[in-house]
Amino acid sequence: MNDMRLTERTVSEKAKMSARGVQVYYGTNHALKNVDVDILDKTVTAFIGPSGCGKSTFLRCLNRMNDTVASARVEGLIEMDGQDIYDARVDPVQLRAKVGMVFQKPNPFPKSIYDNVAYGPKIHGLTRSKAELDEVVESSLRKAALWNEVKDRLAAPGTGLSGGQQQRLCIARAVATSPEVLLMDEPCSALDPIATAQVEELIDELRSQFSVVIVTHSMQQAARVSQRTAFFHLGSLVEYGETGTIFTAPKDPRTESYITGRIG
Amino acid sequence: MANTHILSAFDRDLEAVQAHVMRMGGLVEAALLDAADALDNRDQELAQRVRAGDKAIDALEQEIQTECARLIALRSPAAGDLRTVLTVMRIAAALERAGDYAKNLAKRAEVLSQMSPLGASTGSVKRMARAVVVLLKDALDAYIARDAVVAEDIRQRDHDVDQMYNALFRELLTHMMEDPRNITAAMHLHFIAKNIERVGDHATGIAEQVIYLVTGSMPGEERPKAEVVQGMGART
Repeated sequence: MNDMRLTERTVSEKAKMSARGVQVYYGTNHALKNVDVDILDKTVTAFIGPSGCGKSTFLRCLNRMNDTVASARVEGLIEMDGQDIYDARVDPVQLRAKVGMVFQKPNPFPKSIYDNVAYGPKIHGLTRSKAELDEVVESSLRKAALWNEVKDRLAAPGTGLSGGQQQRLCIARAVATSPEVLLMDEPCSALDPIATAQVEELIDELRSQFSVVIVTHSMQQAARVSQRTAFFHLGSLVEYGETGTIFTAPKDPRTESYITGRIG
Repeated sequence: MANTHILSAFDRDLEAVQAHVMRMGGLVEAALLDAADALDNRDQELAQRVRAGDKAIDALEQEIQTECARLIALRSPAAGDLRTVLTVMRIAAALERAGDYAKNLAKRAEVLSQMSPLGASTGSVKRMARAVVVLLKDALDAYIARDAVVAEDIRQRDHDVDQMYNALFRELLTHMMEDPRNITAAMHLHFIAKNIERVGDHATGIAEQVIYLVTGSMPGEERPKAEVVQGMGART
């Protein structure tokens, strides 16, 4: 039993993505300062820190979402499998198929449940036939633990689902393009505790297939779902380490102050 | 690090359990000293009071365990807060054991007061009890001060208590060999000495908890050990 838990906790030492000396400016505002971090393969990494600490900014660097912000400027190196994702030859749309994202508020398209999930594979041309697309939709909904709840009403609008179901639909949509990394920005903050638990269980299952990076304000959620935790404060990465260590014996006093609910 | 939680009730909860531990420590120290006095002065009434007093120590320990369970359930302590709760629980358990030893000492003191005294051995027991109480007190002070250096020093000082125990052990062995009629009293005194020596081990355990609390890891095993077995060999 104990041995099983230990095996479960061990993670790949291989870095899926690695960031070196990452700086982000919004106009003159230096939002992220010199961040070095490795996102390990098939591992859940949690980013925690107070509002405005740069954790979401950094998350958005990982799939170049900051490209869409006119005033944002990203410096430094971010690699995925050894390839610079900011290289001019990299197509950000292709990159985002490989590095999927789920947002704080469930944002299904105003389309049917089926079309929500089928959208990504369609625009990226990942399937060749309707049968193949059906298969991708079903397996994605299954991975998102939503299939049994929606299989009889795939044509119903995605917006008609409950909040928790909508969020799992968004996860299914992100999973449908077979990403290698899934970024989640506060995926449970609009959900009730049961839906939160379902999403957390899902995150733990998805870990066997790809890396998950989750930004969360709930320290307990970070503790529950992640194997690695990074603490951001005032635009800097203060501490990064094994989640159990961060929550029992953090090295930096700022991490300690934050996770124990003291004034930082 | 700022020392107060944003949620101040959390601070009050943590302070309350630590205050309980300190009160428990005070009761255990007094019980040990009183029991040793009762033994040395053949004071049955005092011994009786020590035995009755153990109930209060046990009740405090129960309360600490309940409060800690509440704290874990309601506050989800992390990092230093978590280590505080864990160490409070372990220290309370150690003090509870030390309290039991004091009670046992008092019980044996009552029996021994009916027997003829065995040299100056009760005086030696009393000195040993005093030394152990100083260790215990210093360990608890180190806990409150979060002082890992003092705690490490206490780990090393337990050696002195072990040596006092070995000396007393030889003394009792001599009495028993001189006259077999001394055996009953000497055996009682030996159990007392052994129990006091164990209280010293508990004080060391508390010091180790202080080191864990401050540093986040338990100290390694490099404590000097007294050679009891060799001492026995030298005598028999």
